[in-house]
Parts: sequence; structure tokens; C-alpha cells
Amino acid sequence: MTTHSKIRCSLRRFGLVGGIAIAAVFAGPTSAHKDPVKQEQLKIYQEVFMEEVRKGDLLFHGDQKMAEQLGVADDLSKTGMACAMCHPMASDTHPQSFPKFQAQIAKFATLRDMINWCIEKPNQGVKIDPESEAMKALEAYITWSNTGSVLQPGKF
Amino acid sequence: MSDELDRIRREMHSVLQPEGARPDDSLKITRRTFIHGSLLFGAATVSQAFAWWPLLNTLDIAHAAETPFKFAWISDTHLYPRSLNTRFVDKVVRAAQEVQAMDPPADFLIFGGDLAQLGKIEELELGVDLLKEVKIPKHYIPGEHDWYLDMGKKWGELFGQPNWTFDHKGVRFIGLDTVSRGPDYWTAKNMTPEERMGHMATLDGTVAGPWAGVGRDQLDWMEKTLADWDKQRPVVIFSHNPLYEYYPPWNFWVRDWREVHEVLKPYAKVTNIHGHVHQVLYNEIGTLRSIGMLATSWPWPYAPEGLPKLTKPMIRVDPGDPYDGVGWSKIDVAANDQLETEYIMWGRKEVFVQSPEDHDKHVSEVIRPRIADNMWPF
Ligand SMILES: [Fe+2]
Ligand SMILES: [Fe+2]
Repeated sequence: MTTHSKIRCSLRRFGLVGGIAIAAVFAGPTSAHKDPVKQEQLKIYQEVFMEEVRKGDLLFHGDQKMAEQLGVADDLSKTGMACAMCHPMASDTHPQSFPKFQAQIAKFATLRDMINWCIEKPNQGVKIDPESEAMKALEAYITWSNTGSVLQPGKF
Repeated sequence: MSDELDRIRREMHSVLQPEGARPDDSLKITRRTFIHGSLLFGAATVSQAFAWWPLLNTLDIAHAAETPFKFAWISDTHLYPRSLNTRFVDKVVRAAQEVQAMDPPADFLIFGGDLAQLGKIEELELGVDLLKEVKIPKHYIPGEHDWYLDMGKKWGELFGQPNWTFDHKGVRFIGLDTVSRGPDYWTAKNMTPEERMGHMATLDGTVAGPWAGVGRDQLDWMEKTLADWDKQRPVVIFSHNPLYEYYPPWNFWVRDWREVHEVLKPYAKVTNIHGHVHQVLYNEIGTLRSIGMLATSWPWPYAPEGLPKLTKPMIRVDPGDPYDGVGWSKIDVAANDQLETEYIMWGRKEVFVQSPEDHDKHVSEVIRPRIADNMWPF
């Protein structure tokens, strides 16, 4: 309400010329190519995200087929352990606390650094490419599962 | 979920916790840390002794017993074949050696379930082999990881009846099977035994559903078993799962816990010792107290909700140390009416949190159930 009346106010102050200029802005230039976001687009974006979450969920829970599909079957674990065995529902992963000084690695670390540390140490596996789809999928699942958590970067 | 839990807790409180009801009013719970004699009068080197005998944290619980004795608890070893994972093997070896080295010796060992990781014959037999180091009598109850590959066939061959009872020096001991009565989620889906086991072995899986339960038949058996027992004399019940509602999505409960409490209500001194949760837990409901034991394999984080208020939480674990947050337990039944539980946590001098930052829930965390295995709407 307030905004609306303010706009009307300023229109009156600028008078006729101002009024025309503003109308032109509202219409946009003839070469404009941007459309407002559509529901179908949002649905696709969300589907892309949830597909990565689903893949990450499977990797996180030791699904061999998904690990093969993403080329990390020989890397993620050599002990039979899967991430979810210590982190059910991705609890205790604390993605909201990164980046931070990570005591185990003794350096300032991102979530991806910590994922690789877990693969290498407890799982006795082989670090994966931080830019790989497998890593992004793991990150997607961990952060999705912690959706309700409040950002606390740097927190121990 | 939270509202439902709240409702259930209120109901539980009104039904089972009438004004003033506590587990045996002579009981008290204290925590103390003591240093084992070998440290005080240090032979060898301190570091050697330290590695062998960690400082012990204890819960003191009073009970009436005729003569003092000790028993030991090991559970949740989750053994894989030796070729795949030697860490878990090493920890069972260590626990078995420490139990065997107890002086004075324990009267018996309780194995609280989840001997194997995927229920394989090879895994169960490896467990039997490793525990041969322990020469005192051994009593086993099953965990879900032991059961759902062949529906308890191999487990039964090795250990016999999954529920049992015996009396020892004035205490009635009961072992319960809380794992074998899961709802059938596999037949309609034509699952292989391995697939069935896989879902069961996933703590946060959604397919196996509320599998933990005692069952009407076993409740009746327990009622009969206790019928001739003096209601003022101590009862100790071993179960894989806790006998109250902590966090159902991880089966940190038995679904018929209300019925369990109905059966146990007349008895004044009941202690439940359970595994499955891989964490320090303490709770009281009416006259029953529950103590959750450590795994030897790995620790679980506390559940996102429902941690009993009476639990003094265990310390946040270092994921880089396979010996942290895990271990075994000694239980002392003393002549001066005490039942004392000692958590032997290998990686720690202090088992319990010492500051807010020591708590695994210190970082505020809101999590949600997984989605990728959602194939069966329970
Ligand atoms: Fe377990
Ligand atoms: Fe279990």
C-alpha cells in the first residue's frame, strides 16, 4: 500500500514528461529477451537439483550401482563402510559450519575437503575430484538433508 | 514427528509415571571417574598402562544382590569378513582380551547383538572365533544385522534360542529378542536375501519400517518368566533395542514398548541394558531404568530429537580415531546393593561431555529423512 501511494506521488511531481518516461521503462526496450520466470522452469531447476540429491543419497548410503555410474566405485570406500553408517540422515556432517578450521585436517577447509578426508581416512578410500559429479551429488544430498539448519560458518 | 513424540511422551508420563514413582527409591545415580590401580601404582610405563586401562567413568546404581559379582557386555561389533575390514576385527580382539583380563574375573559375558554386519555365515563365525578368547560363560542376543540374511538360521545354529532367562546370585536375568519380528517388506517386492539385509542394515533407511518389537508371544513368555519372582528383587533385562521410545525412524525403540512396561510395572528394581544405539544413554520410566551401551565398531550421533533428559551425553567423537567413542562395558553387582556400569571408552579419559562444545549437537542441526530408498510408503 505504502509503496503504491509513493509511486503515484512521484508521478504527480514529475508531471507529464516524467510520466511518459516511466511508462517507457515499464514497457521495456523492443530488443528485450528476458521473460519472467515460469513455473515450468522452476520445476525443471528443482528436478535437476533433486536428481543430484537422489544420486548423492545413494552414494552416501553405499549404493554400488550409483558409484559405478559416477565412476567412483573403487574410490569411496575400501572398508565396506558408507558415509551414512556414521551419519544417518547426513546428521553430524554440519554443512552449515563450513568453511572452517577443520581440526582433523589442521587447515581451513570446505565441506568438499572434509568429504574427501572422510573418504580417505575412516573409509580408507581414494580422494575423488572435488569438481566431479559424484562430489557435487554428495554435497547436494548433505546440504539438502540439512536444509533446516542455520548457517554457522566457522563453528567447531 | 515432534508433536507426535510429545503427545506420546505425555501419555507415557501419565500412564507409567504416577506421582513419585522412581526406580527403587534407595537408588542413586552418580558419576565418578577413577584411575585404575595400574596407573596409580604405575608399573611398566604410564603410556602402556594408559593404553590398556583407560580411565573409567561409571554410573552407580543400587540393587540388592546376595553376593557381589561382575559381568561384562560387548555388542555391535558389526564384523565384516576379515579380508574387507580389519579395524572392526582388531577392536573385537581388544575388547575380548580386556574382558578376559578382568581381575577379579567377570562371571559371564553378555553379547548384545549385531555381531555381523551383513548377517553372513562368514561374519558370524568370525565373531564366534574372536570371542573364543573370552573363556567365561557367554550369552548372546541377536541384532538386526545378524538376522535378516537367512532369517536367523545361522544365528540359531550358533547360539540357540534368542530369548532366555537365568538366575545368578539373587538377580533374575532375561535376554530378549527385539529384532526378529519385523514386518514383511520383502516378499511383495521379490527381494533377494541380500536386498532384504541391505535395507535392514541401513539405520536411516525407510524400507524396513518399524521392525523393532518384542511381540505378544514373547511378552507372554516374559510375564510367565517373572511370575514366580519376588517383586522387590532385582531383574536385569538385556535387549538389542532400547525398551522405550527414543527415535523410531532409526528403530531406537521397540514399537510395543508400552506393553513391555505393562508387564514390568509390578517389579520394583528393573534395569534394562541395551545395544543398537552405539552411544551412552540413560533413561527412567516408572520403575524401569535403561542404560545404552557403546559399540565396539563405530559410534552413532545422538538422534535429532528425543534424547532422554536424564542422559548425560557422551563426548563428541574424533572421526579420525577408530578407537574413539567405542568400547565395551563392565557391570558390577555389589553386595552393598549397587549395580555399577562402567563405560570402557578406548579413546577417552572423559566419557561424558565436559563443555557445550563437547556435545555433538552443539552445532544446531535440523535434518530430514532420506528420499532415494522411498519405495514403500509405511
Ligand atoms: Fe549396531
Ligand atoms: Fe542394531
